[in-house]
Amino acid sequence: MMLAFPLPRYLTPFLQAPALLALLWLLLALAGPWVAPYLPGEVVSTTVFAPISARHWLGTDYLGRDVLTRLLYGTSSTVLLCAASTVMACGAGAFLGMMAALKRGMTDTLLSRFMDGVISIPSLLSGLVAVATFGSSVPVLVLAMACIYLPGSYRTCRMLALSIVQKDFILAARMRGEKTSYLVVREILPNMAGPVLTDVGLRFIYAVRLLSNLSFLGVGLQPPQTDLGSLTRENLLGLVYGAPAVIAPALAIAFLTVGLNLALDGKGRHQ
Amino acid sequence: MLNRRNMIKQGTRLLATGVCAAQPWLGTTWAEDNNAVGAGFAQAGQQGTQPRTGGHVRAASTSGSLSDTLDPARQSMATDYMRGNMFYDGLVALDETLTPHPALAQSIESTDFRTWHIRLRSGVCFHDGAPLTSADVVYSILRHKAPELGSQVHYHAMTMRTVKADGPLGVVIELDVPNIAFPSVLGLTNFAIIREGTTQFHKANGTGPFTCAVFQPGIRSVALRNPNFWQPGGVWVDSLELISISDDMARHNALLSGDVDIIAAVDPRLVALIRKRNIAVLESPTGTYTNLAIRQDVGPGQNPDFVQAMKLLFNREQMRNSIYLGFCRTGNDQPLPPEHRDCNTTLPQTEFEPDKARFLFKKNGFLNQSLPPLICSPAANGSVEMAVLLQNAAQNIGVKLDVRRMPADGYWTQSWMRFPMGFGNVNPRASADMTFAVSFASTAPWNESHWRDPRFDQLLALSRQEPDTTKRHALYNDMQAMIRAGSGVCIPSFITSLDGFHPRIQGLRPHQGGQLMGYNFARHIWVDEQPTRSTAGGTAP
Amino acid sequence: MNAKLGIAIARRLGASCVSLVFVVVAVFFITSALPGDVAQSLLGQAATPDAVAALRHSLRLDEPVLLRFASWAGGLLRGDFGMSLVSHQSVMSMVHERLLHSLLLAGITTLFAVPTALLLGTLSAIFRNTVFDRCVSVLTLCVVSVPEFLVATLAVLVFAVQLHLLPALASISDIHSIGSFLAAFSMPVATLGCVIVGQMARMTRAVMVNVLSSSWVEMAVLKGVSPTAIILRHVLPNVVAPLFNVMALSLSYLLGGVVIVESVFHYPGIASLMVDSVASRDIPLVQTCALIFCAAYLLLTTLADVVALFSTQERSRA
Repeated sequence: MMLAFPLPRYLTPFLQAPALLALLWLLLALAGPWVAPYLPGEVVSTTVFAPISARHWLGTDYLGRDVLTRLLYGTSSTVLLCAASTVMACGAGAFLGMMAALKRGMTDTLLSRFMDGVISIPSLLSGLVAVATFGSSVPVLVLAMACIYLPGSYRTCRMLALSIVQKDFILAARMRGEKTSYLVVREILPNMAGPVLTDVGLRFIYAVRLLSNLSFLGVGLQPPQTDLGSLTRENLLGLVYGAPAVIAPALAIAFLTVGLNLALDGKGRHQ
Repeated sequence: MLNRRNMIKQGTRLLATGVCAAQPWLGTTWAEDNNAVGAGFAQAGQQGTQPRTGGHVRAASTSGSLSDTLDPARQSMATDYMRGNMFYDGLVALDETLTPHPALAQSIESTDFRTWHIRLRSGVCFHDGAPLTSADVVYSILRHKAPELGSQVHYHAMTMRTVKADGPLGVVIELDVPNIAFPSVLGLTNFAIIREGTTQFHKANGTGPFTCAVFQPGIRSVALRNPNFWQPGGVWVDSLELISISDDMARHNALLSGDVDIIAAVDPRLVALIRKRNIAVLESPTGTYTNLAIRQDVGPGQNPDFVQAMKLLFNREQMRNSIYLGFCRTGNDQPLPPEHRDCNTTLPQTEFEPDKARFLFKKNGFLNQSLPPLICSPAANGSVEMAVLLQNAAQNIGVKLDVRRMPADGYWTQSWMRFPMGFGNVNPRASADMTFAVSFASTAPWNESHWRDPRFDQLLALSRQEPDTTKRHALYNDMQAMIRAGSGVCIPSFITSLDGFHPRIQGLRPHQGGQLMGYNFARHIWVDEQPTRSTAGGTAP
Repeated sequence: MNAKLGIAIARRLGASCVSLVFVVVAVFFITSALPGDVAQSLLGQAATPDAVAALRHSLRLDEPVLLRFASWAGGLLRGDFGMSLVSHQSVMSMVHERLLHSLLLAGITTLFAVPTALLLGTLSAIFRNTVFDRCVSVLTLCVVSVPEFLVATLAVLVFAVQLHLLPALASISDIHSIGSFLAAFSMPVATLGCVIVGQMARMTRAVMVNVLSSSWVEMAVLKGVSPTAIILRHVLPNVVAPLFNVMALSLSYLLGGVVIVESVFHYPGIASLMVDSVASRDIPLVQTCALIFCAAYLLLTTLADVVALFSTQERSRA
């Protein structure tokens, strides 16, 4: 295996590059509304799908709006919404999953079957009903997305925790009479941190995708707010012209997710 | 009184199928507006080949779902109309300028415009071999009256007081009130003639140019040429497969890759690319419009100044350029497009005047008031973009407008006409009379802005009994002026329908009735494997 | 010991049936809670109050919700899935063909995706923190993060529009030979593969790394146990349960979550049928589709859980 040698030390900075780029982009996006050259809903050019130019660094979109501006606005809302819902879903999922693995018995059965039920209801239905019932607002969106991803995270965490709780060191700790909270924080969580963090990273990607699907259905963010997935989708026709309007948001998503996931990988490794 | 006899004369050859026989394209206003149409079309007329029989064609439309149906009463989507027109015929057919001509009817006559005598063509057979009789026609029309059928034309059927057979080939229809434009009503695709007693629609049994070989809702329909079609030279291709691809990019890709020969609804942004690849784009000026309806019975729309200000806030030039890329004609807040024979072209054009709008908003205290949101949806083509442009124009004069985008499914029943300000999308109606009657009269079922003007209703009733074309035109002109000034409906543009087709397909012509020749392309096209010319028209404006 | 395992599996299956019932009830009431009904959706713009009321009556929608549920559930117990309110055909006949199409697509994708993902995941776990590992990581992440409609569209643009190698549509009715079968399925399968291989490979790697770096494996290494033995004896039993779980979650996506692939390639599968039926509020059809997705999901997860039961037992015996 030619590639299977350990990473040379001088390559390490390059590996940090995606994470650094993602971080840089993130900072820029959070500052988005202040640094954006135009208003997000403003038509600034008579040319649609314009290429990169001095006036429009990332060209124009399908209506002739400035892509850079929309990208900056879109990134901040995407990151905030998706991060919030992912953290909520994975936090709750990990907690419940570990509880179920530790308690076993009826709690585990009921919780697991309930989660199975929830996860198998199509997310399209859940999303539509949530928004129809509670109206379309940012908190509703975050909660709905969190609820949709909670069961998946629960399943993964429960499985991981189950294979750990049977280990000798847990049994030993239980023999010692350690409290459940000690078991969770000191013994179980550190031993499953790697896969859980990988799961968190993946769920963030799915959240980005779900957000754009919800917007497509008409229940996502309301104009002029937007998210990265929707930016890609609404400019999809530009693909035949190689327009930056469709490439830039797709790259932005890739940077964000690759950076985040590599960073999480690193965290998992250090555990 | 000869001129009070029916205006449709027996024996008129309708829907000429050969390009050479095409009627000269009426209306010059729109042609000046959009030269590419005229040029491309004239070329087709001069150099087109003679129609020939044979060939297989695959066409892709936009909408398509489980709700696809072969029941004429329930057809409501573009693909349904196209499919219906392959298998069924109506008593009346509308030509490229929406002029009614007799089809299954041989003549339609009335002296008082209230009682209409229809004489059926003899020797017409259904696909199962049964001959067409007056009983079939009576059944086909009367069934729309049953509310539980859920007919799209229930409203129009209810305007017919009685529908009776008069011998094996005669039908008499008596209306509630006289209506000189009644033949156009019979030209609606939904009033297609089916065999008496039909209740199951798994297969189509009509008199149309094709027989139904396969029908799979949401997937595809396959049509085979009907060898016994009543109209000689009325159909050319041997077989036709109609599918629907709702994903825009996928539909264009299927055309570009050659997987399909014809697609409906080309996106204006891709016209240049498609033409560059030697694939033709058919431009049809239609009366389709996406409009903002400001309700005048609730909310700020009760104040006429607010409505006026909103109309002034439409940057029609910008919408034309950035939403339709020039493939539209500018609207003037009245529902007839400029190429329509009854359009009032003398009305002054409403322009984009933000300062005047701001003045009106300020004068009435709307500047600091929270306004109801603009309701829009992908279901109403282009409405989300329009709402965004309007929102931005409002922001520039210090008015905050919220945009609320609704899911496409359920939009027409859950949102449309229910909010103080919402977008709608209206397809061209069969006649000016129908437009006024169903969308603007006080009792109209789809009076989007809830506009009520008794004088308008009087003019409508008058126009329906006015046999003199010039006088009727004058009445229509007044009515359009009233809509533009009074109604809460803002119509910024009329959409030019764009359809893409490979050069091997011949016979497609622009049609005011909607995309792909008023959804009726199947019977008009023929296949020429070695086209002698490039059908790709001019470049995009 | 085996009897105990049998009881555990039986209990697990029983619990799955409870989930199924829960989902059936929940989906029925969720669909009923959606704004609008099938009568309005059929009428569309022509939905005047009188027309809606009459159509509702003829479709028996004016009966109480509970009564309608009871009659549907009653039919279900007799094996009758009811009639579609929109097309007036039996739901079973509408679902049957599309389900076969979906299973075909899912099956081919699984055949291709699972071995790829396991191989990639395992290799990068073994060679963790090497250039190979990093390359796989970045690649799978890139592939997973690009929205699938973009992947699918890009593939069509390149292979169908530019190169004319493959058809842009995967229409089942056009498939007459092995060649056309491969041509039609290659792009949909590749697109779906992009979505699930990435996820499975990453989770496989994570689970493997977790075990490989654990103290007991390190102990075995120190004891001088051969690498093959380590993988077979120590690693595999410990990763099999979480791996099956990851695969179950990914594969269940292949039935219900492939709406975009179905619509881009015009592939008549069951996911688009579900979306259609939700849009037209055709409750018997929504119910049946939901039931199928749910049953497929429960089957897969139950399988994963049973594998977990087996593997824990193996280990406790060892």
